[in-house]
Amino acid sequence: MAAFGYLIVKEMKQFNSNRFMPFVLVLLPVVLMLFVPLLANMEIRNVRLMIVDHDRSTTSALLTDRIAQSEYFRFAGYCDTYSGAVDEMGMGHTDIIMEIPAGMERDIGRGEQVEIFIAANAVNSTKGSIGGGYLSSIITDFSEELAAGLYAPDAPVQASGQESSGAGAALSGDVIGGGATMPLTVSPQFRYNPHLDYKLFMVPAMMIVVIILIGGFFATMSIVSEKEAGTIEQINVTPVRKRDFISSKVVFYGILGLIAFTLAFLIGHFVYGLAPHGGLPELYVGAVLFLVFMAGFGLIISNYSDTLLQSVFLMLFFVLIFMLMSGIFTPVSSMETWAQYLTYFLPTTYFVNILRAVCLKGSQFSDLTFNYIMLSVFAVLINVIAIVTYKKQR
Amino acid sequence: MEDNVIQVEHLTKKFGSFTAVDDITFEVRKGEIFGFLGANGAGKTTAMKMLTGLSFPTSGKGMVAGYDIWTQSELIKKNIGYMSQKFALYSDLTVRDNIGIFGGIYGMKRADVRRRATELMERLGFMSEKDVRVKELPQGWKQKLAFLVAVIHNPRILFLDEPTGGVDPAARRQFWELIYDVVDSGITAFVTTHYMDEAEYCSRISMMVDGRIEALGSPAELKSEFGAGSIADVFDILARGAKRSE
Repeated sequence: MAAFGYLIVKEMKQFNSNRFMPFVLVLLPVVLMLFVPLLANMEIRNVRLMIVDHDRSTTSALLTDRIAQSEYFRFAGYCDTYSGAVDEMGMGHTDIIMEIPAGMERDIGRGEQVEIFIAANAVNSTKGSIGGGYLSSIITDFSEELAAGLYAPDAPVQASGQESSGAGAALSGDVIGGGATMPLTVSPQFRYNPHLDYKLFMVPAMMIVVIILIGGFFATMSIVSEKEAGTIEQINVTPVRKRDFISSKVVFYGILGLIAFTLAFLIGHFVYGLAPHGGLPELYVGAVLFLVFMAGFGLIISNYSDTLLQSVFLMLFFVLIFMLMSGIFTPVSSMETWAQYLTYFLPTTYFVNILRAVCLKGSQFSDLTFNYIMLSVFAVLINVIAIVTYKKQR
Repeated sequence: MEDNVIQVEHLTKKFGSFTAVDDITFEVRKGEIFGFLGANGAGKTTAMKMLTGLSFPTSGKGMVAGYDIWTQSELIKKNIGYMSQKFALYSDLTVRDNIGIFGGIYGMKRADVRRRATELMERLGFMSEKDVRVKELPQGWKQKLAFLVAVIHNPRILFLDEPTGGVDPAARRQFWELIYDVVDSGITAFVTTHYMDEAEYCSRISMMVDGRIEALGSPAELKSEFGAGSIADVFDILARGAKRSE
């Protein structure tokens, strides 16, 4: 057995004698996979709605009931004037104001177009825009139902206007729709994630986070803790080759990462129904390449850190960039152009592409050649740098 | 020249404006115990790190075991054993695992490691502790284990950095017996210490003050040269000029 073999045995025995690390190895993927996809949900509930009803008619009461049936809204009360409601919004008591104009029922009865005004607080832009979107779609549905004569004898349509703005309250309204029935309807069909289930978007993201944390952080921490304990000096004074020492860390922490990744994948499969439509080899080749990259990257960080604290802060800095800029949580295509070019230098991007495409679209090696090649290039390059920057003699 | 296993000329190490080791020149002969004496902070450990290939000199030349300290440090490492001042073995592993791993890293065959480890553990009285985790050992035992690991691969030169630091006087004597044992088997020992009484155990000593070697010779030579009764007195005479202290 060569020095490399003894170093792997050393890592294994150290890992076994550690009470904390094996625990983290299992707990981390389980917690991330079981909880985060449920919590980090883009669906908005409990949007507080305040109604300014100048009409006070049967129709306006019907509309209010209709909104109340939705699980997305919670009534924050009525207000007599729009400016009063805006004050309430300013104090943070409501998220959306709906203003029903006087004479709505009458105008509908005459078959005229009616404008309902919605103002959404867009300080929390997601809540504002999505909440406003929900509300306008409820109003549209309601208008169709009115047109179809589901409610009162009066049949006509109702139109809604909506606009949300930045900081604070909103102004302006706009007219959409009109006429007797909807002349055109759009029925989108969402491919690969037909129900736009946010969990299917988050689950692969969490699998990537598992690799980043286990592969990257464990490797960094192992070398820096050898520095802190002084054991690295005893290693450096032996004739062990740098590539043996570095690769023993990459291989061992790569294997740990694969175990955690497998655990995460199994949870993704059995809990969320995620399936590797493109094939398991596609998934695992990508995971191994990315793990080799992350471990090598962690080792470079540890080569430049003297203490655990230093290395963890450095890692955190880069990992945040990896996570936020590589399309794990937000799509690359909606970034600034310069940032989109930057993502070519983030190997995370390639693995995100691979994982999503394999799991959601059923892509295979031939569809993702560029991503696999780039990921391999980065994995090799970063480990060469890790070996070169590891100094046995200072 | 043939008999010199360490040959150092004008070796200097600077950290910024601080000169830790200042132009030292000496040689160590094969088979001797060379004592590298000096106060804390005199530059002993820094000098030893340059000789063991852990650190590059700022200037100067040096050969260890026939290899250049600038360019052939990995070859030097094959031929030396090193015991750090700070305990540097894996404390979360057992005695046996530590020995096995370092033996393996030095390229020894498994059977050879086992034979030599058994022999050394018996000599050091370690047999009953071989499956104990190192962190559970008392300090004196840890140092014995570090010594054992340093000689596991039968190095030509053994570097010991303050091997008796924090060890009680009786154990210190025992430790020196161990050093004598390995020197008898043909290993050259390079020992740093700040215990002046230990100087008497050495074949030759160098006395380091503020990064410079101020005296070099056998204990008897130094005592007569300085007209002192003991090495401690010699040190006192030299140390009067010292500026660095802990």
